[in-house]
Amino acid sequence: MAQDSGGPEVVGKWFDRASPTFRCVVDPTHEISSLFNWVNVPSAAWIDEDGRIVRSNEGVYPARTTVRFGLGKVRMGDNAFARATRDWIERGADSEHIWSSEELAERLKPVDDDKRLAEATFKLALHFEAVADSDRAWRYFTEAQHLAPDNWNYQRQGWTHRGTLYASLKVLKRTNDLRKNSDKSYYDPMELPGEDYRRFTEPEWLWTPAIRRLKQLVRR
Amino acid sequence: MIILANGKTNEVAQRTDAAGALWVRMDELPRATGWTMKPEGACLGEMCVPLPVNKRGEWIADADGWVWFCYSEFADMIGQKYVRDGDVWSLGSVPGVRRVGLENAIAPDFEVTERNGDTLRLSDLRGRKVVLFTWSSW
Repeated sequence: MAQDSGGPEVVGKWFDRASPTFRCVVDPTHEISSLFNWVNVPSAAWIDEDGRIVRSNEGVYPARTTVRFGLGKVRMGDNAFARATRDWIERGADSEHIWSSEELAERLKPVDDDKRLAEATFKLALHFEAVADSDRAWRYFTEAQHLAPDNWNYQRQGWTHRGTLYASLKVLKRTNDLRKNSDKSYYDPMELPGEDYRRFTEPEWLWTPAIRRLKQLVRR
Repeated sequence: MIILANGKTNEVAQRTDAAGALWVRMDELPRATGWTMKPEGACLGEMCVPLPVNKRGEWIADADGWVWFCYSEFADMIGQKYVRDGDVWSLGSVPGVRRVGLENAIAPDFEVTERNGDTLRLSDLRGRKVVLFTWSSW
């Protein structure tokens, strides 16, 4: 499910590259994340044959992935979620990885009035972006981001309105600030066996080893 | 006037009063907001919210040959947030629906468009395991 205000034109090439054997849908207004209380991508829910959610996580990369990032690369995710998903598909209710409804309610992020208002504001921004009213779109993206500062979907989709380079630099700056000044994380841990959890993914620049060596020398 | 709700953009007849409240023509209410007026109250799927007896006269009114419903007052009552810019109203999720869906862990139903243009409704997949996965290009 591609959650992207750019719609099919923007996400089509990614679907093509994946050669999907599954249902592919486009969600330009982020409706699914609103309904499932997700604030980041990739996110996933397991829904059983009776329509019950038996697990819901953010940061669920289907495999350990390396993405080129300027002159460096970023490693994201691991194989833990895919392994757990296969286990649930095969064993259903006997899988050790499913959650009870009580556990699900406990783990879901709470939605207060500010977040509800942020959601309506974000949808207004998406509308103005769709009708090419850039000033209004930016104003409402910014308002939604202030109302729900922990919602990465609002942050990143909003920043993308100013271009992917702008958005990438904002992500780097914000994650760097959070890493230094708070105990927040980009994704919550999935708490699955074998998970390689890190609070934030850091780019591994070509010159990273040199900088590390330089820091060691400075410390001495 | 445009109402953004449930992922859809709906153009509807316009009526705002002196206080700037949002009035929706009763025949356009289901399309614009998802709610339907029934004898037991305003209903969204299986959830029905009775209208306060002392508010019925205020919230339902005849004008221009149509019956209108004061949606913004109703939204305030149920805790649904909304934002307005000129003729565009954006409605947030209905809190009751989200709560009902997640308290008993039943996945909230939704309708989305598949890449090939077909409509996919989550409830159509009952009887099968579903892995719902979101991603983005940004």
